[in-house]
Amino acid sequence: MKYVIGIDLGTTNSALAYTEIRPDVDPFDTPDVRLMDIPQLVNPGEVRDEPLLPSSLYIPGQTDFPPGSLALPWNAEPEFVAGQLAQKRGVENAGRLVASAKSWLSHSGVDRTAPILPWNAPEGVRKISPVDASARYLEHIRQAWDHKMPDAPFIEQQVLVTVPASFDAVARELTLQAAERAGYRDVTLLEEPQAAFYAWIDRHQNWRERVKLGDLILVVDIGGGTTDFTLIAVTEQQGELSLERMAVGEHILLGGDNMDLALARLIADQLAQKGTRIDTLQLHALWHNSRVAKEKLLQPGARTKEQPVTILGKGTGLVGGTIKAALRRDDIDQVLGEGFFPKVPSSEMPQRQRRFGLQEIGLPYAADAAITKHMAQFLRQQASSAEHHRVRRGPSGLAAPTHVLFNGGVLHARLIRDRLIEVLDSWLADEGFGPVEPLTGEDLMHAVSRGAAYYGLARHGRGVRIRGGVPRTYYVGIESAMPAVPGFPAPLKALTVAPFGMEEGTSVKIPNREFGLMVGEPAEFRFFSSTVRKNDPLGAMIEDVGDDLQELAPMEVSLTSTDGGGTVPVSFETVVTETGVLQLWCVARDGRRWKLEFNVRERVAQ
Amino acid sequence: MGRIWLAIRSFYSILFHGSLPDDAITELGLTRRGSAPKPQAAAATTGPRVSDGALQILSILQRDSRLVDFIMEDIAAYSDDQVGAAVRGLHDQARESLTRYVKLDPVIDGVEGTFTKAALPDPAAVKFIGNVPAGKPSGGLLRHKGWRAGKVELPTLNPRQDSNIIAPAEIEIE
Repeated sequence: MKYVIGIDLGTTNSALAYTEIRPDVDPFDTPDVRLMDIPQLVNPGEVRDEPLLPSSLYIPGQTDFPPGSLALPWNAEPEFVAGQLAQKRGVENAGRLVASAKSWLSHSGVDRTAPILPWNAPEGVRKISPVDASARYLEHIRQAWDHKMPDAPFIEQQVLVTVPASFDAVARELTLQAAERAGYRDVTLLEEPQAAFYAWIDRHQNWRERVKLGDLILVVDIGGGTTDFTLIAVTEQQGELSLERMAVGEHILLGGDNMDLALARLIADQLAQKGTRIDTLQLHALWHNSRVAKEKLLQPGARTKEQPVTILGKGTGLVGGTIKAALRRDDIDQVLGEGFFPKVPSSEMPQRQRRFGLQEIGLPYAADAAITKHMAQFLRQQASSAEHHRVRRGPSGLAAPTHVLFNGGVLHARLIRDRLIEVLDSWLADEGFGPVEPLTGEDLMHAVSRGAAYYGLARHGRGVRIRGGVPRTYYVGIESAMPAVPGFPAPLKALTVAPFGMEEGTSVKIPNREFGLMVGEPAEFRFFSSTVRKNDPLGAMIEDVGDDLQELAPMEVSLTSTDGGGTVPVSFETVVTETGVLQLWCVARDGRRWKLEFNVRERVAQ
Repeated sequence: MGRIWLAIRSFYSILFHGSLPDDAITELGLTRRGSAPKPQAAAATTGPRVSDGALQILSILQRDSRLVDFIMEDIAAYSDDQVGAAVRGLHDQARESLTRYVKLDPVIDGVEGTFTKAALPDPAAVKFIGNVPAGKPSGGLLRHKGWRAGKVELPTLNPRQDSNIIAPAEIEIE
């Protein structure tokens, strides 16, 4: 028996879905995609199957857990705790908790292969790298599979791991490294919003009747910690409707957790006005209880306008120390409706990150909490980039979606879905279009892992595939040959090495450009990407490197040659592998090849 | 046994049989090496005790809902409002964890207040109240459905852990 396994490696939660590969079955049948519960420690000494594995890792010290109480069915003495118990214990002792490892993985301001997490760990606590932390979750999932499916070893299955569409080439490469470290073989990466859309197709086999040629689908994915936008166009290929991913947004560190924390802080403020101060541990309890209260107030058919929120007393005095508060529906409307999803015109852009001389290093959380503004920026950026004829646009140039697909737990709340649709509709009306049509009926929590498993089958010829290619344009920086001026760095130019949309499984050679590389010395290239410049052809030279190019970790290559030293003239070749990974190669005239590797370490030293 | 007699018997027994006689062993408070220890003593140190399951469920309810804190607290001084606020959260949690570990079913799945036939002759499962006739009653009004533990699924106890600890003491480092 062989399976396709889809793994949603989330910022806050991870999940696994799988489906059997059966060549004998009619390709037009709906594939049977199932979810697998992941056994994990939920309390010391208690392992339980849970549908989600919280992406939390706890590094236990000597005094944390009774000896022997961390045993898993497949490992009697694990080094780290992953899942629910890690999350619970992490609230009590935050210094040993690794959370949001995925966000760190895409953070170019730190060395992502160095042991830096937990970020605020006290002296003496063992630290691990963001890559290692991700590898631990993936390893837990692999071992859980092998435990539950002893007849189908994990490494013999086809595995797909999802990444945010906004992950750049470095973060994708590091995700693959984590998978390899976790003992995975032959992993394919898939973008989360695409996976969510595959899950919708899986549930709607008649999708060709729901959308038509020229339609533009906006996927809005709001998870616990991140928000991700993607545009998918309905195109035609050989007389058949097909799908093409047109654009992805930038990485926005803003999600459901921020919203619940905002509600908790609001209540904490109300309590403070009455003279009751709460500490960090109590704020955590309040955070959790605000979420529960919010879900109760927002569930369909809820009539109450207020939900009690209590923080139980500390110590053995439970009733005496209980703090009472209430979450009002009006507060939610205020915080979510005005703070996170304000009604704004499509011209309103999010505030830029303020730049201080000395910035605290940490995760680059979004400076502006208004998700609708980020959405406006995303649709505008699609407009500001040079013409891309398959995207429907309004007179102002705004990309105008015809459909919207929601994903992520936050969008369970109808209030939020309705607000997003309301805002989109008002923008579309300004541009002279009719309202957007929501594509509904999805399981918001598990769609990504389900969709990944569906896509795995699509690669076997069953089901439809979204054509996408690389979601950014990539460049290498070239210093201009100009006389050096003291105090000013040489002006930088950028050479296009991978055009937007370059497809998986293809390779291109950059014509008419050769570089002389010294044998035996590492040569470094600055590396850039852009989500908005979509029409730079291969080999194009950008004279002015502006804000629309983002610098990534540099790439380096070290030429080793048997025939002594000297300079070797090389040209660049770009390869996008079948698994969606971008590779740059230096190719000598005689055909010898050297791969450029990301240097995440160097970046920090600068 | 006199000391001299015990010494002489032990001496000859070891000389001719290679071991001490049984009564001498008892007298000296010794145990024979390799002989099975007394079963009760073994249970007390290694195997589960009868009370372990009970302490475990108590400890679970304390951990998840702080039930023990609540029951042990003197609540006489607090207003109904304050007690109510605390209990609401406690109730949700306690119910969630109780139903997770113990599947509770009614003994008689009927509607309370309606006529129910009594099929079970077991007085532990069905209790007759009111004007109970001399013989086995055929039925009556169902006053209480009763509770039965359908399935108990407690986590395996860690043998190295002291089950007498229902909740650990907490020390916060500031």
